Amino acid sequence: MSFAPNLPLIRLLVVKDWQLFQKQLAAYVLAGIIALALLGLAKPWAFHLGATLLLVVLVAAACFAISTSLLVERKEQTLAFVMSLPVTPLDFTLAKLAGNLLTFGVPYLVLLGGTAMVILGTPIPDGFVVFAVLVFGHVLLAYGLSLAVAMRVESEGWNTFVMIASMVLVNPFIMVIGQIDAIAGPARTDAITWSAPALAILAAQILLFALAIAWTAWSLGRRPAFY
Amino acid sequence: MSDAPRGAPAGAPMGPRVPALDQLRALAMGVGVLFHAALAYSPWLFPYWPTASDANWAGIDALVWLPHLVRMPLFFLVSGYLAALLLERRGMGGLMRQRVRRILVPFLVAWPLVHLSVSALTGWAATEVAAPSPFLLAVREYLAMPDPPDLPLSTGHLWFLWYLLIFTVLLWVSRTLEFDAALARLGPRSLAPSAIGLPILLWPGFMLTAAPHPAPESLFPQVWALLVYGPFFALGVALHGRLDALAPLRRWLWPGAIACLALYLAFLRQLPPGPVGPTTPWAIAALEAMVAGWGTLVCLVAGLRWLDRPRPWLDRLAGSAYWTYLLHLPVVFAIQYLLLDVAWPWPVEFVLTVVATFAICLATHALLVKRTRLKRYVG
Repeated sequence: MSFAPNLPLIRLLVVKDWQLFQKQLAAYVLAGIIALALLGLAKPWAFHLGATLLLVVLVAAACFAISTSLLVERKEQTLAFVMSLPVTPLDFTLAKLAGNLLTFGVPYLVLLGGTAMVILGTPIPDGFVVFAVLVFGHVLLAYGLSLAVAMRVESEGWNTFVMIASMVLVNPFIMVIGQIDAIAGPARTDAITWSAPALAILAAQILLFALAIAWTAWSLGRRPAFY
Repeated sequence: MSDAPRGAPAGAPMGPRVPALDQLRALAMGVGVLFHAALAYSPWLFPYWPTASDANWAGIDALVWLPHLVRMPLFFLVSGYLAALLLERRGMGGLMRQRVRRILVPFLVAWPLVHLSVSALTGWAATEVAAPSPFLLAVREYLAMPDPPDLPLSTGHLWFLWYLLIFTVLLWVSRTLEFDAALARLGPRSLAPSAIGLPILLWPGFMLTAAPHPAPESLFPQVWALLVYGPFFALGVALHGRLDALAPLRRWLWPGAIACLALYLAFLRQLPPGPVGPTTPWAIAALEAMVAGWGTLVCLVAGLRWLDRPRPWLDRLAGSAYWTYLLHLPVVFAIQYLLLDVAWPWPVEFVLTVVATFAICLATHALLVKRTRLKRYVG
């Protein structure tokens, strides 16, 4: 068995996932523009509505990216068709990971940039950027874990559980970091302060996300056959 | 602001580019220079406009806000038409690439340059001008603060490019989610009734902002601006290949123009002495919506009727319109800051500002853009 990935084929599979994702992306973009317009009204109710809408879009992008490209395809037995193509498990794993990271990564980065723009371009204290990045870090980690489980575990129930549980944990996570003085204190000032606890949490989030993706790629990619 | 070829090949399934729309856009750009130069002599804007002069005249406000209600909608309408033209000729990918090259790149390059030049000019004027405007006095106080607060990010007069990008993205969203197909099934077969009903769409947008409406300079999309300018962009898209659908409106050209003038006079009468805000009462907003909606259609129909053949001077203006748009405001500010300490009659200052601004913009266009690689981006 060859461990050299078939890059042209992987590219085709990623493009396929990206094209199937267009409608979802258009919906996220529309919701993002509505959220930014609400934030631009500069009213407290509009700010809360806009910020909530941004978070909903972020979570929806994470869940639907996994659901469309993995869970729905599994239900429709797309893998059986893919197995008839000259594709190795390594190619398929890498294509699925790359496609998912792309379809989630684009809206994720756009929303992260939009949120930073909102904080730095409005009277909201600039220090709140650190708090927001940690919340985005949590969603990234939740997405990474959900993706890893979706690729490893066939049970739809377990997949749904992990996806919902990890995303819902964003609420307690916000409460917990809101209790840490080194994070909550500077968030109320105009200075952007990366305190030791903030850096540690962010590093842990990124490390765990990278581990989840790397472990998935390694464990699935080295299989000699799909089953 | 398109680089599409001037005519479609014979038999191609799309309408050719319409010279009248290019000329209309050039005229609207010319009116924009007059508008920005005239604001220095507007009593309404005296407290807020950076180059506001003591030598102002009450008639300026009555004169400038009518074309202002029409010229920006006209820009968006023409832009929507050209976006639809490009979409048909080059597809969505081609449209996006063109918008990146012709709008996003010039915006990202011009934005800091315009911001820095206007800030430097205003900073200089705040300290050096002997007879500063109220705005410059406020800047002087701001500069004297030991720890001045950060000012919010603003697109300045380049907001038009920012909204064009937003509307292009919304056009892609609309195509991808098939909203346009659904609207085409639900909407009337003829465009004329939709065009006449345009003010109803604009009304809420005008109610949500001050009157006369300000420039939506914030980086955040302003709801009122989306509601006011979005319908014009959409109408421009819908008109692509169907300009003849406006033919029934031709006989209403003169009555429409007279009605718009009457509605504008009613709008001026409704206003208290000076602008209203931050929101506008429904009656004033309704008048604004009618003037903007029908006035833009009057200009469009008039342009299609009388600007149907090439005119060298208008073509030259059209060729340099984008460059003039980018450059004119810092130039106007530079000239008018210098004029603040000169006690000339305002009409003399106004004419001097306009002539000098056009001369600088046209000369620099000929020198820096017309025969250089910049033409691909802002030519």
